[in-house]
Amino acid sequence: MRIFSATLRKLVRRPATWVTLGLMVGLLALILLVLAVTTREGPAGIRRPMELLLFTFPTAYLFILEFILSLGGLLSVLYAASVAGSEWGWGTLKAAVARGESRWRYTLATFAAVAVVLGAGIAVAYTLGVGLDLLAGRIAGVDSGNLGDATVLGKLPEQMVRTWLVIVEQAAIGFAIATVARSQLAGIGVGIGLYFGEQFATIFLPDQVRYLPFHAANAAVDLGAAAGGAATRGAGTGALTPEEALLVVAAWLIGALLLSCLFTDRSEIPG
Amino acid sequence: MTDLALATHGLAKRYGARAALDGLDLAVPTGVVYGFLGPNGAGKTTTMRLLTGLIHQDAGTIELLGRPFGRGDRRRLFDVGALIESPAFYPFLSARENLRVLAATGAPTRRTRVEELLDLVGLRERAGDKVSGYSLGMKQRLGIAATLLSDPKLLLLDEPANGLDPAGIVAMRDTLRHLAATGKTIFVSSHILGEVRQLADMVGIIAAGRLVREGRLADLLESEGVIRLRGAPDEVAAAVAALGAIVAPAQVGVVVEAGRITLQLSAERASEVNRLLASAGIFASGLEAGSDLETLFLQLTGSTAADGTFNPAGVGRVA
Repeated sequence: MRIFSATLRKLVRRPATWVTLGLMVGLLALILLVLAVTTREGPAGIRRPMELLLFTFPTAYLFILEFILSLGGLLSVLYAASVAGSEWGWGTLKAAVARGESRWRYTLATFAAVAVVLGAGIAVAYTLGVGLDLLAGRIAGVDSGNLGDATVLGKLPEQMVRTWLVIVEQAAIGFAIATVARSQLAGIGVGIGLYFGEQFATIFLPDQVRYLPFHAANAAVDLGAAAGGAATRGAGTGALTPEEALLVVAAWLIGALLLSCLFTDRSEIPG
Repeated sequence: MTDLALATHGLAKRYGARAALDGLDLAVPTGVVYGFLGPNGAGKTTTMRLLTGLIHQDAGTIELLGRPFGRGDRRRLFDVGALIESPAFYPFLSARENLRVLAATGAPTRRTRVEELLDLVGLRERAGDKVSGYSLGMKQRLGIAATLLSDPKLLLLDEPANGLDPAGIVAMRDTLRHLAATGKTIFVSSHILGEVRQLADMVGIIAAGRLVREGRLADLLESEGVIRLRGAPDEVAAAVAALGAIVAPAQVGVVVEAGRITLQLSAERASEVNRLLASAGIFASGLEAGSDLETLFLQLTGSTAADGTFNPAGVGRVA
């Protein structure tokens, strides 16, 4: 618990934490505002369905979550790789081990703190996202719709938890890569490569790709048809059901953490 | 029998085909300042890493504070403080925050300890500044503070004087001396022989991964058969000629410009040398018996100032 809370304090002070959150919220704001302006300046009375879905609640709730799920996956890979890699690069893992700290406990506590920070980041980004969406809708001149829709709001907590879980799974992949590479840069580089490599793998491994970490993550959060793009993310021929995908996500999460712990435990730590 | 704070027996470690350590035997008594010397690549840092469990030996055993230390014995390190190579900190945190984060690992640490240590190493006024803005010397001082967090019985310091200014070196020496006086054992690897000479009670010298000499520093220097003379540069040739009666030319080293002559003769023969020179009408301005640490180090490791090559001159231990 001591390491977990110390790591949490450390992550709050870490510039990468705020840069990652800033990127997420900044890109969301940029996209929403650009779409709002183009919608407002478009032909009066003609609204494209995408824009209406984006600015009209309750579907807008799901769009924001969809955005966080998509970009958040990649950012979480990079963030966790940065945290894990820097422990090796800066020699802070060495300092902890030389004080007699358990390598397993240190790795798990560090990752647990990363998971909590990601959860807080998702909550903050989502809250700001809803605010920005309302603002963008006003700029676009689109009616905000029904903000208090009980059906969508009722499902939202579960969808948020699932989003957090799959983002944590993707973070675990980045964490494991950087641990094995023992480097921030290598971890980030390989993490990006793996993320985009998996998207290309759809061409070569159409049947297997659904079991890969990023595809399974997308399939595990069922945002329904209302979210447009979200509905098709995990869909397609032979896509996993959300429940199946959640099991695959859990397997990847546990596997990545085990790999990180085992590698840290067995490795020789350089000076 | 003396209590040993640290002992290794036949410690061996290879990196591929290269043997970093080749049967290292160390015996460090409790409560001493032990200078661990060796040329670059001799195996000093590898030894430090093995002693802190960062890497694992291929052969041999380690005893820390009287008990075996191996995989799974990490709690033994609760009584050990280590600074290995460069100090490791989070650059975006302050000195105080770094110590607090580190204190959350390993042995439990008193809450007030961080402030005590910031005072001890003279960083209290800059304790709130980010470490990324610290000089190498300040990071080194913070590194020494970090080793003391859990009030360890044994300190392992790898080149602790790195980056310190003269005042910092003196302060570090005083701090280490004070810690040794409180019964702690301090194991210091260093390249700065003058520093070790002033600080260490004992030294161990390694070359090519093996111990070539270990013992009380004073005993080691006295046991070496060296007599050093200093005189007028224009009298050096005459002095060497006169000394030819008792010492072979191969055992004489001369630096004419400095008026220095070094003789490979036992210390007891110093008065004989003095008498011989006086009878030849030559009067030395200085005469010392016994080696200095630099001469001993170069002699034992076969190092040269030019390339740091070495040729170990056998293994020995002075009681």
